[in-house]
Amino acid sequence: MNADGRVLVQTIGDEHVTAAALASLPLVGPQRLRLLINSLGVTDAWRTVRGETPAPDHIAALLAKDDLGRVWRAAATDELWRRTAEVIATHQIQVLLATDPRYPALLRADHAAPAVLFARGNLSAFTHRRVGVIGTRAASAAGRHFARTLCRELARADVAVVSGLARGIDAAAHHGVCDAQGHGDDDQATDRCPPSPRAAPPIAVVATGVDVVYPREHAALWQHVIEHGVLLSESAPGCGPDAFRFPLRNRILAAISEVLVVVESRARGGSMITVDEALKRNVTVMAVPGSPQSEVSAGTNHLLSQGAAPVCHVDDVMMALGLNHRHHNEHNEYNDSRTPPSAQERLVIAALQHRPLTFDQLVEVLGQPIAEVALQLGRLEAHGWVVANAGWWEALVSP
Amino acid sequence: MFASVRSTTLLGVVGRAVDVEVHVGVGLPGFTVVGQPDEVCRESRDRVRAAFLSRGFTWPNRRITVNLAPSGERKGGSGLDLAIAIAVLIADEQLPADAASRYAFVAELGLDGSLRGVVGAAPLVGAVRDRCVVVAASNAVAARAAGAKEVVVAADLAHVVACLRGEATWGNADDAVVGDTAPDVPDLADVRGQPVARLALEVAAAGAHHLLLVGPPGAGKSMLARRLPGILPPLTHEQALMCTMVHSAAHVPMPAGARVSHAPFRAPHHSVSLVGLIGGGTAAMRPGEVTLASEGVLFLDELGEFAPSVLDALRQPLEAGEVVVSRARTTLTFPARFLLVAATNPCPCGSGAPGVCVCDDAARAKYVRRFSGPLLDRFDLRVSVGLPKVDDLVDGVDGESSATVGERVRAARAHALQRSGGTNADIKVDELDHAAPITPAARAVLRRELEVGRLSGRGLHRVRRVARTIADLDGAPDLVGEEHVATALRLRTSLASLRSATP
Repeated sequence: MNADGRVLVQTIGDEHVTAAALASLPLVGPQRLRLLINSLGVTDAWRTVRGETPAPDHIAALLAKDDLGRVWRAAATDELWRRTAEVIATHQIQVLLATDPRYPALLRADHAAPAVLFARGNLSAFTHRRVGVIGTRAASAAGRHFARTLCRELARADVAVVSGLARGIDAAAHHGVCDAQGHGDDDQATDRCPPSPRAAPPIAVVATGVDVVYPREHAALWQHVIEHGVLLSESAPGCGPDAFRFPLRNRILAAISEVLVVVESRARGGSMITVDEALKRNVTVMAVPGSPQSEVSAGTNHLLSQGAAPVCHVDDVMMALGLNHRHHNEHNEYNDSRTPPSAQERLVIAALQHRPLTFDQLVEVLGQPIAEVALQLGRLEAHGWVVANAGWWEALVSP
Repeated sequence: MFASVRSTTLLGVVGRAVDVEVHVGVGLPGFTVVGQPDEVCRESRDRVRAAFLSRGFTWPNRRITVNLAPSGERKGGSGLDLAIAIAVLIADEQLPADAASRYAFVAELGLDGSLRGVVGAAPLVGAVRDRCVVVAASNAVAARAAGAKEVVVAADLAHVVACLRGEATWGNADDAVVGDTAPDVPDLADVRGQPVARLALEVAAAGAHHLLLVGPPGAGKSMLARRLPGILPPLTHEQALMCTMVHSAAHVPMPAGARVSHAPFRAPHHSVSLVGLIGGGTAAMRPGEVTLASEGVLFLDELGEFAPSVLDALRQPLEAGEVVVSRARTTLTFPARFLLVAATNPCPCGSGAPGVCVCDDAARAKYVRRFSGPLLDRFDLRVSVGLPKVDDLVDGVDGESSATVGERVRAARAHALQRSGGTNADIKVDELDHAAPITPAARAVLRRELEVGRLSGRGLHRVRRVARTIADLDGAPDLVGEEHVATALRLRTSLASLRSATP
């Protein structure tokens, strides 16, 4: 690492490349990898897998299962090693072993810690306080808006946001961090505040290899995270979005978060898996309340009923972290930068607050002339108070 | 020995004058028809011969050659029967040489010599309207509707011959051609509530803007569409004539008065083929649904169920107002100035409402992808239609009647016609600033829509045209205000979900 804490070109040791090559073997999950590396060490594990040294009993048992010994012997070639070294160099991927000092300390203590961790970006992001922000991929507009606002304020308060870079809430959370650093995209320019010079970096934990962008439309977000924060994965470079990787990813996300905030979640789903993992590790789980009629808030409302602390404001999270939220408020007012709505426009927002409506439903609910409603809706949209989603209008007011 | 008699044949939706030339000369007895006759046409020799014999005329037992001139074009149909019979009689000198010189004959012959009506009488007669046209009694009204100068009817071949010899008088065809006075169009008063859908319908009628209705099953999309012809202005004389010709040519049931005087309404089923929609098919080139709906409404219910290739074929006629059908032998241009109204569900499950809809993002995206972007772009108006409220259905009062709305539509159309000589949907891009000047506030609204990328350049022009129509209906024929632009934007709902795109 150089002076500003950033690794520009990593001089990578053979041991790390070997570890990466081991992680690239077919049918090697986190448990098998951990067993191999922890009991034999990286170099010996590689030799054993190649059949150059005899395996101790418990490893031999592993190799005998599912014909793994033969599969691995065929795959663990010099060619694989060379290719792995090449990919690591091309994408400037850092390979972290549990014994490395740079390996995140929280993770090292974890009972299911990944034996090898791949990272792109700057690992000093882990010196910040960390809050995981997760939620459903099919989020409501209000949920996305809340996640974005929350994460913008967290990043401004020097708290790193940990998320999964998936669609929906995850993406909104990272967009919020981008906003705080002054890199937000322009579609929500109206509710963007001046960038903070010392916004916390984003931390992303992804399920695919760190060089495989998934979903593809998030290529720009990935690049932003790599440049300004750190992107982590336990999957070897080149691994695709296989379904089994996502729950495994969720345990890492839970393990490196100090507080986990669920913005929106259905009764079952990936977010709930992350919550379970977090509860196993005594990580504080907080949830954003939603309408009881909303399906995407069913999971979060259930968490609240089970005793999770509610998040209605960034200060709720700051208090859970034990940070001075007042100080934060004095310097950085959590005021809405949007032009306040007129009395007439408030009626429109009120009508949209409980459920999304189509334009014709809105006209009927309000009972006002069509031109009048169209005008107010146009102004509210321009000021960022409402948003249309496939013809359905939703109010962007924090739930 | 030789005779030439005028008749017509049908190609597409227009009749073409045909000279039936007959030569009766020496040689082996025989009867040939040349000049590219189709099967029906060729069979006429048997009908003509039988008609001769049953009415007591002498059949010349010599070599008879019939030529249908111009001989380069294909002829079809049975409307040439009577002309062939008369020409044979003249060539055989059973009738004086100049007996038929001022007449044109359009009728089929029965084996007993009686005259029968033909399909497409209006366009057929239209091609020879400067002559005295002899038709069967059942075609008399259609012939007069086609604008023929003089129409006479006869009962059978003997009657025609007697009249040509001056021994009898023609039957009269004085039944007045009347417009369809009471068309069976449902009234807009039946639609209760649904103010936005009603407004969209009114704007579509006033500005000739294509309309897409999006809503769950049972919202009344078809009900609304079927009431659109009722608020369209009545057809002008030329439009009515054109519609009459087209409907007659396609053998569509005609109103009792034989003239189509109200905007037609066509609602083809979604299994319609490309040829069925656009036209073509047989050698006679039958007009398609787009042509039948010309000057009226083409309603496509369940837009997503139509074959994509069929829908994309609509793009050219939508843009050009006519459709060119090219086949190996012929290229024809059909009129296709229709108002397109389409209806679709918002998603596969139909409900569309967030929280109620059970479709996932991928299914919704796939459903919307069925409509090509260029086609969706051609709908100036895209409105969502919700389920009617129970109160409106049970206790509600009737909405405004078609007559009241139609009055406003007529006034708005008059403004547009005076301003730009057409409908608002036809205002050219370079004339927009002149025809639809907008206030600074309205300009600011449009500028913002462009800046955030919700509106394309083409979309901008479409919104301005719709705003122009809304202002016309609002009684503001000069400047287009912010409220008109805002309303126009709200009547152009985006189908695409934002869920998977921007956060």
